[in-house]
Amino acid sequence: MLSPRRSRRTAATVGAALSVALMLSACSGDSGDGSSDGTIDVWAHTGQAAETEALQMLVEKFNSSQEDVTANLTLIPEADYTSTIQATSAEELPDVMEMDAPTMAAFAYDRKLIPLDDVVSSETLDNRISGVTESGTYNDATYAVGMFDVGLGLWGNRALLAEAGIEAPATAEEAWTTEEFTANLEKLAEVSPSGKAIDLGEANGFAGEWGTFTTTPDLWSAGGTLMKDGKADGVLNSDDNVEALEEWASWREFADPNTSGSAFQDGQTALTWTGNWMYPTFSEALGEDLALMPLPDFGNGTKAGHGSWQWGVTPVAEDDPEAAGAFLDFLLTDESISAMVEANAAVPGSTSALEQSELYGADKPLELFATNLESACGSDSVTEECIAVARPVTPGYPTVTSSFGSALLAIWGGAEVKDELDSAARAIDSDFSDNNGYQDD
Amino acid sequence: MAQTSAPSQRISRREMASRVPHYATLLITGLLFLAPVAYMVAASLAPASDTLAGFAVFDVTQWGLHNYSGVAASLSSDSTGHLWRFFAVSFTVTIAVVGLGLVVNSMAAYALSRLAWRGRGLALFAILLLLIVPFEAVAVPMFYLYNDARNTLWIQIVPFIGNALSIFLFYSFFSGIPHSIDEAARMDGAGPWRIFWRIIAPMSKPAYASVAILTFLTQWGSFLWPVLMISDPNLRPLPLQISVFAGQLPPAWGQVMAFGVLLVLPVIIVFLIFQRWFIEGVASSAVKG
Amino acid sequence: MASPALLLLLLFVAVPFLAAIGFSLYNVRLGDPRAPTFMGFTQYARILTDPDISRQFLQALLHNLIFAAVVVPVQTALALSLALLVKKTIPGVGIFRSLFFLPVVFPIALVAIIWRLILARGDDGLLNSALGFFSGGAFGSQDWLGSGLTALASVIVLSIWQGCGFQMVILLAALQQVPAELYEAAELDRASAWQRFIHVTVPGIKTTLVFVALYTMILSLRVFDQIYVLAKSGGGLNEGATRTVMYEAVTAAFDENNIGRASAISVVFFVIVVILSVIQRRATREKEG
Repeated sequence: MLSPRRSRRTAATVGAALSVALMLSACSGDSGDGSSDGTIDVWAHTGQAAETEALQMLVEKFNSSQEDVTANLTLIPEADYTSTIQATSAEELPDVMEMDAPTMAAFAYDRKLIPLDDVVSSETLDNRISGVTESGTYNDATYAVGMFDVGLGLWGNRALLAEAGIEAPATAEEAWTTEEFTANLEKLAEVSPSGKAIDLGEANGFAGEWGTFTTTPDLWSAGGTLMKDGKADGVLNSDDNVEALEEWASWREFADPNTSGSAFQDGQTALTWTGNWMYPTFSEALGEDLALMPLPDFGNGTKAGHGSWQWGVTPVAEDDPEAAGAFLDFLLTDESISAMVEANAAVPGSTSALEQSELYGADKPLELFATNLESACGSDSVTEECIAVARPVTPGYPTVTSSFGSALLAIWGGAEVKDELDSAARAIDSDFSDNNGYQDD
Repeated sequence: MAQTSAPSQRISRREMASRVPHYATLLITGLLFLAPVAYMVAASLAPASDTLAGFAVFDVTQWGLHNYSGVAASLSSDSTGHLWRFFAVSFTVTIAVVGLGLVVNSMAAYALSRLAWRGRGLALFAILLLLIVPFEAVAVPMFYLYNDARNTLWIQIVPFIGNALSIFLFYSFFSGIPHSIDEAARMDGAGPWRIFWRIIAPMSKPAYASVAILTFLTQWGSFLWPVLMISDPNLRPLPLQISVFAGQLPPAWGQVMAFGVLLVLPVIIVFLIFQRWFIEGVASSAVKG
Repeated sequence: MASPALLLLLLFVAVPFLAAIGFSLYNVRLGDPRAPTFMGFTQYARILTDPDISRQFLQALLHNLIFAAVVVPVQTALALSLALLVKKTIPGVGIFRSLFFLPVVFPIALVAIIWRLILARGDDGLLNSALGFFSGGAFGSQDWLGSGLTALASVIVLSIWQGCGFQMVILLAALQQVPAELYEAAELDRASAWQRFIHVTVPGIKTTLVFVALYTMILSLRVFDQIYVLAKSGGGLNEGATRTVMYEAVTAAFDENNIGRASAISVVFFVIVVILSVIQRRATREKEG
């Protein structure tokens, strides 16, 4: 009979599997309770390859620069990053984690972040540029610190602009009005080899954060905003917003779907609407022909988004916050910031690093982004003077952006603007009322 | 049978002729089915610039193993996860679920089909009910209930051991074994455990093979649950890792395809070795009905 | 002996399912230190009647139904044709059997990524290149996954490619059990190949055909992996044109942290599956009887 041998073999297989299982779980360690032995766990999103490499290099440098603290970096894909943190209970989080600026309030509301005012050194905090300070503040406390801030602009190909007889505006005051912008799109479509004048980044998906980040400046510039006093109805679906998005949707006929992923840098389109992180690629491809311009003015002055990836400390590190603080202080030194912004061309997040920057400052290539940030404001107090506007700081932001994004996608596809915005406003308000307005005290 | 050789040759020649369109159809469909696999293999060997350049991936002269060394190099740190670990996790989880599942579910099926115990009828009814609850229907509440077990190995294994379909397949098979066999053993003084391990289980090899293969196929490709529960790169199974790898910017498609080849290679080998069992195992799943 | 399996099924199927019903009545958020508030049947009312939320949910359900309406007949017919093609034992047929079954061992996450490249936009994807080549450039490049018109169709094609072999094997087993004498008798009656197919083959495998069709239908309701991979990992899939019920449940739970609504969707999903399973039982039993 084969049976004893057979069952022994089965038992052996199962036994082997179990012991490997135990081995794996033993050496995988437990994320979450490493802070007391000088080891801290760090989570970050997987960004553009160069950005990720820069971060890995900085962590290594931190670990070899001193002996007290070892940082263990774990990279989580950007697409799942925010959901992953949302799904992880506060005790299971790492000591230090990265987060996208507008999600900070939601994590603070869920008690997944601790105030940094006593964790990070005051020199580091005082050295922040105002945009970074603002996007790290919630309920009057600092919950996040950033190495950089973001710039959003209109990039042009000077050769094609000249061919169409158009001059590129350089400062915020010179921004094209929407009439000028539409007229220019028409002219540029004729000279653009692809027959389309602009890449609006629709390949990135308007339904996601990309949509909210790149189109809210249109609303602010039209005098509207996403929500006010915790309410979206009457604000998100205001006449100003409807008009602005009707205008935006009308650009579709001039928009290149960017099938190659490199339409602008290949000279196929004259314009593209994107952020600082594309600068290294663009400037390498276009050189002197690259122009950075303000976004079009819808009547209330040109606007731009701000608030980027930033760092926070979780309650896991509460017993021994010095280690986490040391790591963040290291990340926010001018040297670290310079290494990072060299990879992503972002606006350096400290005043001293900004001063030394080769990209930002008077007559430097990305001057516009830095000047935009000098006049920054919040989403519910947008004035004509301010340029860089932060997305709403509210724990309900995940719903705001997902509802607004769905509306954008539908509007881009030709749906009635007013109906879509009404629907998004209802969805946001119902989520806020379910959660008691996300009152946090 | 007893035919002269001449007519038989004529028949076979006629048959040969009739086989030409048959083979042609087989060949064309076969090529269409093979095309995506061929593309994956070609793209894993071609230079990165050819991945998305139409037929250029099939330019054999440009082929090399750089994508394979590339993928080994990109996945070699604790922050990104190690290539070998994704395999270790997938193998461990799959082997554990299949192995433990065979033992636990066949035991349950035996108890349900042969032993008399209180609540047997109820248990049988419950199993039939659970047969129609797909995992998808409980994924969300499980995600919430077992959230504390995020990023562990056991949460990838334990929930999938008990399986109503496996119990049902074993139950159907055991019910077909004549009772006289265990009667005889009982006369010889064997207890239920002994009868099960020494007589019923060895007689049921086809059922074990079928269940093993069906469990293996679902478990090896498991995706939804790891998406919800695993963010630690050191505990990520292969299907989740390939989607993570594919989502990186800028995407290294050549390396992603190399990773894809590495991912399916072990399964294809297992499949080719146990081909007959695969086919029979799948065919027997239709017994449920 | 049955207790380990029953305990596991209780913990990982029955309890979570009952919990889903409970969660769906509350505003449950993961990681929120505040106690969840009771909402009654609000979540159900919303997903079924609220003009905004139900639109998205019903759209998702519609996509599942379209998916089923296309995949069930097409995949069953294709699987049957393949089974007929490889039924005859002629030299080399084993290779084709394996070939058609091969995609089944591919995790669907990997399948989605391979096809994402084949279907890539612009004229650089393999499919666009091939169509351009064979039509002499007359056929312009398509954005297969991004266009609202072709996105769902593309997902359907890749799903059929992956799943077809499974059904083929089941049908092949059924075909082989149709008594040869029936064919011989039909041949004596000078029945054409088509008549033999309609009057011998189809009645002979009717039960299996119905099983396969209904099984495919349940699978169509569960579609998730490929949509998630294509929509999230840089696949450029038109999310609005392809979202499915499970995708809705997972994104509500995972992206919007709305466990309450996600649980309500899970419960509704389960009810739909039960209804279809009951129909399946009925249909199979009638055919048998």
